[in-house]
Amino acid sequence: MDDNLNELLARVALRDRAAFERLYRASCAHLFSVSFRILRNESQADEVLQEAYVNVWHSAAGYRANAGTPMTWMINIVRNKSIDLLRARKSELASTTELDDDALNVAADAATEPHRLLDDSLVKAKIDACMQALSSAQRQALALAYYRGMVHTDIAGALNAPLGTAKGWVRRGLDQLKSCLEASGVTGP
Amino acid sequence: MNYLLPERLDRLAREYALGTLAGPARRRFERVLRASPAASTAVDIWRQRLSVLDLAVVPMQPPESTWRGIERRLFAPPARAAPAGGAWQTLRGLFSGRSLGGALAGAVLCALLLRMQPGIIDLEPRIDALPQSYVGLLLDKTGKPTLVASSRRQGRQITVKLLQPLDIPAGKVAELWALPKDGAAPFPVGVIPAKGSAQVALPDTSEKLFFSVSQLAVSFETAPAKAGDAPSGAFVLIGHCVKVW
Repeated sequence: MDDNLNELLARVALRDRAAFERLYRASCAHLFSVSFRILRNESQADEVLQEAYVNVWHSAAGYRANAGTPMTWMINIVRNKSIDLLRARKSELASTTELDDDALNVAADAATEPHRLLDDSLVKAKIDACMQALSSAQRQALALAYYRGMVHTDIAGALNAPLGTAKGWVRRGLDQLKSCLEASGVTGP
Repeated sequence: MNYLLPERLDRLAREYALGTLAGPARRRFERVLRASPAASTAVDIWRQRLSVLDLAVVPMQPPESTWRGIERRLFAPPARAAPAGGAWQTLRGLFSGRSLGGALAGAVLCALLLRMQPGIIDLEPRIDALPQSYVGLLLDKTGKPTLVASSRRQGRQITVKLLQPLDIPAGKVAELWALPKDGAAPFPVGVIPAKGSAQVALPDTSEKLFFSVSQLAVSFETAPAKAGDAPSGAFVLIGHCVKVW
């Protein structure tokens, strides 16, 4: 798929609207899922997706292969926007106890469950055995940060751990990810 | 602080890529990223490592309206593009990120921020100034910003954007009203959706319609209001309407 996305993105950089729609059709479900699992709100994920594709249209010419595959590049646009909106929303809601209806409706959706997503991804990357060197809490801390856009204080709260411990879990998770990937040759610096 | 010391850079890059770098530190590092190829490379490396965590993503199809929204934002005819595009997006982004005490303060803040820091929106095309527009920010009964309305001074349509969904009772429509500052009767502007955004056609230019309007409001009606109609009940949203120029 990435070869195809590469070609489409190159044509989008030339302002090819048909290619842009094909790029959208080929990637929107993946990107919507990325945004939704962070925001847990369909209309906000929709909003982020629209803004992200507007950015893709405007900045396709600036895409560089060393930023990863086109999908990785687009995922990061979506993740950044989702994280920004999540944090803006959190500061708006800080003074209330209101819960979002959409968030309540999907609370039990297993497809967005971070721990499972992490485990399944590690299996697909063939580094699951290597990542078993981490404790369950360390893996969970990494999953909450990546899939939910949580900051260290959120993770500490969610896992009922002191802040310093939560930071250490995340750091250890990242260190282990790096060494597992380097050992497997999947990717490296 | 020297962000580019290798060990510090790697720590910041991985926290940024993961998302745990937050608040002012995140914004500061984004400025470093724009200026430093070394910092960009460090982030790219971590993003590629983290990208394996997306291998098991379960795709979710967005609604078809998402694509239409993207097309509208990017390819709407020029007369419509301005309220739906750059300046409008800018206002929306700033409004949604902050809770505001009043529409006037908010609009002025937006204009000032944009003038001082036009690159505030990452990757968006830069704009030098807001177009001359009327802008309204409507709050619900709890004071929560709920609807942003904007229209170019000489435009013949108004763009509305719901910041949170409206709970419209079955069989009713949400009608937007303009309230003249001299206390004259409100006049209907148009029907707005429960969520998302929409463009509402105006019978005349904004300048003619809103020049003497100080507030906008929304009520629930059994049918779209016609010229001369009055609101049938209490307003569910209300807020100031200001000129941005």
